[in-house]
Amino acid sequence: MSATSENSDTPLVDDLRAVLGRDRVTVSGTERRLYRTDAAHQRGDTPAVVCFPSTTEEVRSVVLVCRKHGRPFVPRGSGTGLAGGAVPVGSPVVIVTTRMNRVVDVDLEERVAWVQPGVLNLDLTNLVRPLGFHFAPDPSSQQACTIGGNVATNSGGPHCLRYGVTSAHVVGLEVVLPDGEVVELGGPEAEPACFDLRGAFIGSEGTMGITTQVAVRLTPNPPAVMTLLLAFDDLDAAAGCVSGIIASGIIPAALEMMDGEMVSAVEDFVGAGYPRDATAVLLVEVEGLPGGVADEAERVSGVGYSFGARSVRIAEDEAERNLLWKGRKTAFGAVARIMPDYYLHDTVVPRSRLVDVLRKVREIARRHRLLVFNVFHAGDGNLHPLLVFDAREAGVAERVHAAGGEIVEVSLAAGGVLSGEHGIGLEKREYMAQMFTQDDLDAQAAVRMAFDPAGLANPGKVLPAGSRCGELGDLPAGAWI
Amino acid sequence: MNLGIDEDELASCVNCGLCLPHCPTFRVTGAEPLSPRGRISAMRGVQVDGEVVDGAFVEVIETCVQCLGCETACPSGVPFGALMGATRASLASKRRSGHQSRLTRAALGLLGAHGAVLAGARALALGQRLRVVPRRVPLPLLPLRQERLRSTGSDVWLFTGCVMDAVQRDIHQASIRVLDRMGLGVSLPGNEASCCGALSEHAGLTDQARRMASGVMKAMPGESPIVVNSAGCGAALKNYGQLLATGEAERFSARVHDICEFLAQRKTALPPPSSARRTTVAVQDPCHLRHVQKLHESVRAVLQPYARLIELDDEGLCCGAGGSFSILHADLAVAVRELKLRAIERSGAALVVSANPGCSLFLQAAGVDVVHPVQLIDWAISGGPDGR
Ligand code: SF4
Ligand code: SF4
Repeated sequence: MSATSENSDTPLVDDLRAVLGRDRVTVSGTERRLYRTDAAHQRGDTPAVVCFPSTTEEVRSVVLVCRKHGRPFVPRGSGTGLAGGAVPVGSPVVIVTTRMNRVVDVDLEERVAWVQPGVLNLDLTNLVRPLGFHFAPDPSSQQACTIGGNVATNSGGPHCLRYGVTSAHVVGLEVVLPDGEVVELGGPEAEPACFDLRGAFIGSEGTMGITTQVAVRLTPNPPAVMTLLLAFDDLDAAAGCVSGIIASGIIPAALEMMDGEMVSAVEDFVGAGYPRDATAVLLVEVEGLPGGVADEAERVSGVGYSFGARSVRIAEDEAERNLLWKGRKTAFGAVARIMPDYYLHDTVVPRSRLVDVLRKVREIARRHRLLVFNVFHAGDGNLHPLLVFDAREAGVAERVHAAGGEIVEVSLAAGGVLSGEHGIGLEKREYMAQMFTQDDLDAQAAVRMAFDPAGLANPGKVLPAGSRCGELGDLPAGAWI
Repeated sequence: MNLGIDEDELASCVNCGLCLPHCPTFRVTGAEPLSPRGRISAMRGVQVDGEVVDGAFVEVIETCVQCLGCETACPSGVPFGALMGATRASLASKRRSGHQSRLTRAALGLLGAHGAVLAGARALALGQRLRVVPRRVPLPLLPLRQERLRSTGSDVWLFTGCVMDAVQRDIHQASIRVLDRMGLGVSLPGNEASCCGALSEHAGLTDQARRMASGVMKAMPGESPIVVNSAGCGAALKNYGQLLATGEAERFSARVHDICEFLAQRKTALPPPSSARRTTVAVQDPCHLRHVQKLHESVRAVLQPYARLIELDDEGLCCGAGGSFSILHADLAVAVRELKLRAIERSGAALVVSANPGCSLFLQAAGVDVVHPVQLIDWAISGGPDGR
């Protein structure tokens, strides 16, 4: 280990080691540098220290050490965030929750599980599935992301069309506030005694403190599920079909759309039999009692054909269903087979404007000479246009950045919002001012200041520079990689 | 420092993190540097950003079990094995003269001297009985005496290997019996074809691995198929074409089959079980079978008529054995094995089947009852020596 890359901030390191021991405090420069990024596109600064508490008490002690030294801290789970929420700005202490991975209690009668924040989303579902339950939010990164991270970003996922996003599935939270106080927000009781701050905390991306335990709602597994794959030769027809399905009175469990480019990339990885030559596909899942499900599937298929679907395929068994979903959920990664970098947006637009916005997105990409792939939660209008490129190409970063800005613009102009489920983090905060007035931003900043007057909790995230909290962290130089 | 990695391959990782839960060392530490994404990013740091190769970097690289669970999981098709292989080879050649590296080279080189391996195994077996072998040596009780193997014909070669021949010869005996029942005579390569060279290659000692590969090829000439009952060795033999980059090596590799693959292709020739009783077994997928050779389905296909199979719920997560990993990184290996032990416990099976000697020895050392698929078949068709 070269001496120069070791952290020399001895008093801070000593205090952290006193709490966690040597093993769980990382000081080596080589290792710390690996924490400059999450799954988003921007690279941040090297954190001062990375530490791994495993209990609420240890998190509290670490936060108190940060406070004592006036050091900001950044909570991090698996680092699968897509907006840079866990990317360090300045030289913070990164607090990793992956060692807090115990399922503390499963109460099937109350249908609630208490879990530590580092439990992986899919691990929890796999654990309770044999008991007849699952955790409903199912983001694409489900296999890797932590429940703490789901709380921080208020994650969604395909099945949130029917079940709602994370905030609908978190009953209560234990939280270490930025001043080291441990509080419980919400709770299993139907009516908590005071303000329900649970809702304010979920989605706050670590800017109001660190979740140390989560009471999640367990959702009963549906008795029957059917998954349909509808292929179209025309994008408008596919988008029209989305509205058609909803208008027919069916609320599918999930209703996803991929454009033809995306379908090819995905098929290269999973080999699930996605039709490579389709212009767009819809992945529709219906669930409920066996008779009703068969009937709904029939109706979806009918709507599909009436909108010009070229083919409708119904997954034969669980294996086929899983393979289709695997394709959908690994879509972001699969595009790397075409270009090594992607920049992803997460805007939500009214369903009626889908086709229009989609066309504009393609047009924007064409103008900036970029490839664009679309895969999204069509049922709730949550777009995920991926701009793919090779960051090693000179000048490409500027084009990507400009195109991204225009995509946000057209989405907002269509009456949409900035983020459906990935959060704002570092990457999207510059667009906040397009979405909110200064008063709105100030109000949000005031809430945040109430939780974190010293501005130590994940500074530089969510609120833009220039707002009352934003100036704490300017983008690190060369953040665009 | 240039690690000799293909820059396009290095750039193909998009940092999504979907591989993390499939990485055994990340599973037990929760640390980015011990994850596939972290390792790739560290390689980028050195090769692209010119960061120094320090102790921490070496640790990041050496703690990788090379199980390739990440490669299977990666939607972007990142060739992790190739990145890791190139990095290890660069580190090994840079440290050529170092004390540690000379020691590794000498130790792995010994695997090619079959007499020494056999003598060593006997000494260990004796030592275990005299209780002078430290308990942390990750081995089950080894057999003191082993029956001589006898060639039965010349239809197929059976690759016998180094450690496996020294301590698990009963698996070879079972393989010969099963092939014999199918009417196939087996030739044995003798001591020339001792070690396949996989451990040397994983350590980045490419030249040593190439020498061993040439020896193995010379010992099994002709056209007959080569059957291998160790998933790790099979993967190595199948890779000779790449390793030696000669037409001859390529033709050799094309003759190599894992025994389960070989049997699955000839299922109709396999004798039926002798009784209707089916043993219940949990299937443990060796990484070199599942993630490298991608043949784990063959195991299920051949065992189906003979046993009641139970799947583990860990999606083929590594058991921690990893060739010499369990010796060089004992603490990590044991922590990883703990996860596997819990998965086996959840499955409720009393017996585990594994097609790789490294995995079975490592699991047996923790008290798990493990057999090779071919042993199960052997027992099922002959009525079984121990009534399983
Ligand atoms: S190796 Fe593959 S799965 Fe892992 S982070 Fe990179 S792109 Fe994602
Ligand atoms: S090869 Fe195995 S141990 Fe190494 S990074 Fe990949 S998953 Fe982890």
